[in-house]
Amino acid sequence: MANCPVSRVNPDFPGPKQAGPDAERFRSDDETSIDKWIRLCNQCKRCEVACPYGVNPAQIILKEQVRYGGKHFRPLASRVFANTYWLGALGSLIAPVVNILTPRAFVKRVLNVFGISTSIPFPQYRFHSMNRSWRWKGPRKSRKKVVFFYGCFLNYNRPDLGRDIRDFLASLGVRVIMPKQVCCGLPALGNGDIDTARKFASKNARILAGYIDRGYDVLYSCTSCGLSLTQDYPGILDVPYGRKVSENSYNLHEYILNLMEEHYIDPVLEPFHRRVAYHIPCHLRALGIGYPAARLFEKIPGLDVHILEDNCCGLSGSYGFKTSNEDTAVKLGITAARAVKAVDPDMLASDCGACRMQLEYFSGVPAFDPSEILMKSLKNSKAAK
Amino acid sequence: MSVTYDVVITGGGMSGMMAAITLADAGRSVAVVSKGDPVCCLSTGCIDVIADGNSPLESICSLPDNHPYHLAGIDVINSSLEMFKSVMSAEGGAYAGDARANRRILTPLGRHKTTCLVPGAMEFADFHPDEYIHIISFEGMKDFYPNYITSNYKNSGFSIFDAGVSTTMGIARRFENRQFLEGFISWLKGLDIPEGRIAMPAVLGMRFAEDVCNEISAELDRKVFEIPTLPPSLPGLRLFGGLKNALLKRGGHLYWGKEICSVEKSGSQIEAVTLAGAGRSTRVQGNVFMLATGSFVSGGLHASMDAVRETVFDLPVYLPGKRESWFNNDFFAPGHPIEKSGICVDKSFRPVDSRIENLFVCGSILAFSEVMKYGCGHGMAIATGVAAANVCGELV
Repeated sequence: MANCPVSRVNPDFPGPKQAGPDAERFRSDDETSIDKWIRLCNQCKRCEVACPYGVNPAQIILKEQVRYGGKHFRPLASRVFANTYWLGALGSLIAPVVNILTPRAFVKRVLNVFGISTSIPFPQYRFHSMNRSWRWKGPRKSRKKVVFFYGCFLNYNRPDLGRDIRDFLASLGVRVIMPKQVCCGLPALGNGDIDTARKFASKNARILAGYIDRGYDVLYSCTSCGLSLTQDYPGILDVPYGRKVSENSYNLHEYILNLMEEHYIDPVLEPFHRRVAYHIPCHLRALGIGYPAARLFEKIPGLDVHILEDNCCGLSGSYGFKTSNEDTAVKLGITAARAVKAVDPDMLASDCGACRMQLEYFSGVPAFDPSEILMKSLKNSKAAK
Repeated sequence: MSVTYDVVITGGGMSGMMAAITLADAGRSVAVVSKGDPVCCLSTGCIDVIADGNSPLESICSLPDNHPYHLAGIDVINSSLEMFKSVMSAEGGAYAGDARANRRILTPLGRHKTTCLVPGAMEFADFHPDEYIHIISFEGMKDFYPNYITSNYKNSGFSIFDAGVSTTMGIARRFENRQFLEGFISWLKGLDIPEGRIAMPAVLGMRFAEDVCNEISAELDRKVFEIPTLPPSLPGLRLFGGLKNALLKRGGHLYWGKEICSVEKSGSQIEAVTLAGAGRSTRVQGNVFMLATGSFVSGGLHASMDAVRETVFDLPVYLPGKRESWFNNDFFAPGHPIEKSGICVDKSFRPVDSRIENLFVCGSILAFSEVMKYGCGHGMAIATGVAAANVCGELV
């Protein structure tokens, strides 16, 4: 309760304790799910990080969200966002048209009718998506081999950044491959469609497991994809090879940090004089790996980093793009942006694409992925032997 | 991960956080590992140094010789509390009071509780017994009943404000909204409270209650103070938030929400702790470790039918005699023997009867602390946390 961002701004949501463990006592598989407010949880997992007794309210709520979604009519917006992957594919295919249309007032009105919020601008789609890029890069024979699980946001909205990350890793002497992959499944799960989520997850897990057997590590850049790979694949989705994927997945910054600590690379970091507000995404907290990007930042001379970890940005993937959650998302977004502006930063950093979109819009501070800042500073890395 | 911290602190409560801040100030790299939010989030936010007597510093001298306060010594106790005050003040949550004098606060039951340092918003909670207190509560607010207070403290009255929401966190968040605050103040002015002080449950904003308190106070020309509530307790959350941000500013690292599943040792040295994750476990490696996991409530100690265990490093636990000897006919008698249990340490806060050399222990897990009996929870945690950090800081 003390850590739930949603219940603070939306009195309709009773908070994780009541919505999770308390209400769970009265739920039974034979009875219909009746708790309409269950959909108001944005799955930020802050309650799980806070609970010192290992109770996972968000998991209990997620299970009920899925049950509720199965038994009730799911609004169009939920159905659309469950399939963010196909939405992205479509958006990317007709990118110029979509990008021109979405900011238009009449299109916005149509979207609103379908329950899609337009309080923050839609992300721009790119035609030249990641899955149209080169599938491998870096030395053919290397001790360090990774499968890059780029996720939908990099794939369709920021393929330029995705390709930069790929090239950057290659320049560090890491063999990077990007096999065919689909959405991690998290958006489908969050929108109450576990069947679609499982379909996506099984496909990914099968592909990734094949590479893990050949000595590759899985690398994710999006913290929500990462949480899905490590927590949901062997957990609620319970897909074949889920455990294997979970145990072999690394956060991008965690992986780069490891390369440095193992002296696989000894980069010379150039000074980069900027004041940075580093907004910690909720799902990075939930991963429980600490804040690896913050440790990379420490190695950059001149960088003045302020860590902000008390606020959820409110967008929570597709959650904030639904009109039913618009009010919650905007209120949380404004609060989180206020914390950013209080630092008076030159730039904003966050590992999560959604957090960056939301906070850039509400704070007006340009947002970057931590790896972009690292790339700016890292000029002179020695490649591997 | 193979990065090695100078000091890894297990437990993110009062003693762990204060130790971490002390070490970070001394230029050490620190990581705090915690399986979740600490017990201080549930507390009143007040710092009890010792509840007995008027002057805590004097009372400490008369504690039994084996009490952990004596390990820190009066000078460090005093300076650590001053340091705590300056840390919190820099985070916008200044504390009032000092270690030479106890003060009282009003509880939600209308009783007085003795404590020492209080959050700025409770500065005026210590009042003369003749003074009239007007309590403001909120429509539908759970676990806060002004009638309790008025029945126990006769010279008081109350009014109810409709905030539109009824949860503690919901109301607190509203107080950060300018319009809401102005609306509230004008409603309060309309009440025409003739005299005395105004008391409210602790809901005056998520972080900076003192500012809100001062503003209401200035507008009404009345002394205003907060009454701590049942959890979720905002003064406790503000306290924890302040310490956490202070540590982050000093470059400390947090590993939050995952339990320690294994400890790697080499000879007499602990090398790393491993955190259980959903997938790969995360290794946190350090030169020196500090145990600040607290006592039974926070899970630092675990009692089963036949034993009491220390849950992270499996250190030997002191127990006051056999279980059969603990019975007492009076359920509420102060000083249950189990309160004496904990980890025995030497003068440098290292566990006795243990082969481990690079481990220090602080906070309420220390044997003979008897936190409930002496009313010394947060104070002892701060003092031993800082004192242990001073000793271990010299080592790395």
